[in-house]
Amino acid sequence: MKGNERGPDPASPGDSAVLADTQADTAASEARLALDQAFDSGTLYALRAAVQAHAIQAGLPESRTDDLVIAVHELAANAVRHGAGAGRLRMWERDGALHCQVDDSGSPASGRDAGPGGNVADRWPFLQGHGLWLVRLVADQISVFSGADGTRATIVFFPAKDPPVSAPD
Amino acid sequence: MVSIEGGAAVPVSAYTQVTELSADAHACLTFGEADDLLDLTAAFVRDGLASGFRVVVLSDSPQLAAAKLGWREIAAEAAVAAGQMVMVASQDGLVGPQGFSAGQAMGWLRDQLADSRQQGYAGIRVALDMSWALRPMTGIEELPVLEEEIAAAVSGAGMSVLCGYDRERFDPVTLALIAPFHSHAVAAATYYDDPVLRICRQYVPPGIRLAGEMDFLASEALALALGEAIRIDGDITINMANLSFIDASSIRMVTDAAASLDPSRTMVLRCRPAIEARFAQLGADRLPQVSLVGVDEG
Repeated sequence: MKGNERGPDPASPGDSAVLADTQADTAASEARLALDQAFDSGTLYALRAAVQAHAIQAGLPESRTDDLVIAVHELAANAVRHGAGAGRLRMWERDGALHCQVDDSGSPASGRDAGPGGNVADRWPFLQGHGLWLVRLVADQISVFSGADGTRATIVFFPAKDPPVSAPD
Repeated sequence: MVSIEGGAAVPVSAYTQVTELSADAHACLTFGEADDLLDLTAAFVRDGLASGFRVVVLSDSPQLAAAKLGWREIAAEAAVAAGQMVMVASQDGLVGPQGFSAGQAMGWLRDQLADSRQQGYAGIRVALDMSWALRPMTGIEELPVLEEEIAAAVSGAGMSVLCGYDRERFDPVTLALIAPFHSHAVAAATYYDDPVLRICRQYVPPGIRLAGEMDFLASEALALALGEAIRIDGDITINMANLSFIDASSIRMVTDAAASLDPSRTMVLRCRPAIEARFAQLGADRLPQVSLVGVDEG
């Protein structure tokens, strides 16, 4: 059904949050940034519309576009409801896969004492409507890291059933 | 488009519920979506048939109207066959071949009343979809005259008339001209209404209707609507045929409401295939109270 266990993706963070941060930023800057949009509670609708438009343009099938839209929405909703109240989405295409990075701008909300680094995915509000659970279900890859500057969640959607295979040079 | 800044619960107190209309009401139904017209008309028809009245439904397409009433559990064809109900096209009723005239339209309406009396009906309910009046035609300036004459005709006649006006398409001047001739204003009870989302009561079959995009920002209105819906008896329908997006927390809220129902009751979730799949993903199909019904649209 999905490929969470697939081989390493060059743009997805590894075990080290510091390394992941660097890689994600590098990936975002190297690849063509398709979308870079700030959001808050008043602009989630516009965010969904933008993600949908870009996913369709990138050639994602309709059902996967729906999955991507709800995954980004749930991550953004987490940032709005349980994080800083606002955030930023960056979306780029790399090796045919769509990457969406949702940053909860500003300091983590009280009670989310992640400390620098550490993967705090399990401290995200799982019970709030099962949002993150749904994201894990529909995304091909997901990583969530929290640091002093907030939380960063990155999801990857492959265009087809299988992850892209690098063509020989 | 109705635009309420920031999205808001809409007060319904200014309106009469369609289910509370008297036997000689001349009601003005203003609607923003075709679903509202059909749903409120269905409630008006259902109650009329249940009271043993003759029921006349005028619309641009009687066939389509009968089919849509059919989905709303109104056995229109059987009622027509039995003679209790009449489905009539606008051009065969209020509008004549030479255009519109208030006198000719009133003549048709009086004929309906006389015929129902002759057949022994204790009363008559007439639902008029007024969208024919949007077309350019001669004599349309007499529309307020017609409404004024209907007001006079219903008084003590055992006849109630429901006039459906699309508030997005009729100009405000026309609506302001015809409104005072009506004894009641009718609209769907609305819990939330902004350009992105609408949550309103559905009268037939009973439940609520969601249209647009539903997310946690409107959760209070959804909770209120669900709370009112599950307080009524019997099965309830959550009509999401015109919903294009629903987030996880809203799905959770709907399924929690379903789970709170006695297992003898059913919550019918009417939705597009993509939304249906989402409900199933989150386990709604495993609840004994839930019946997921896929629809194409509308």
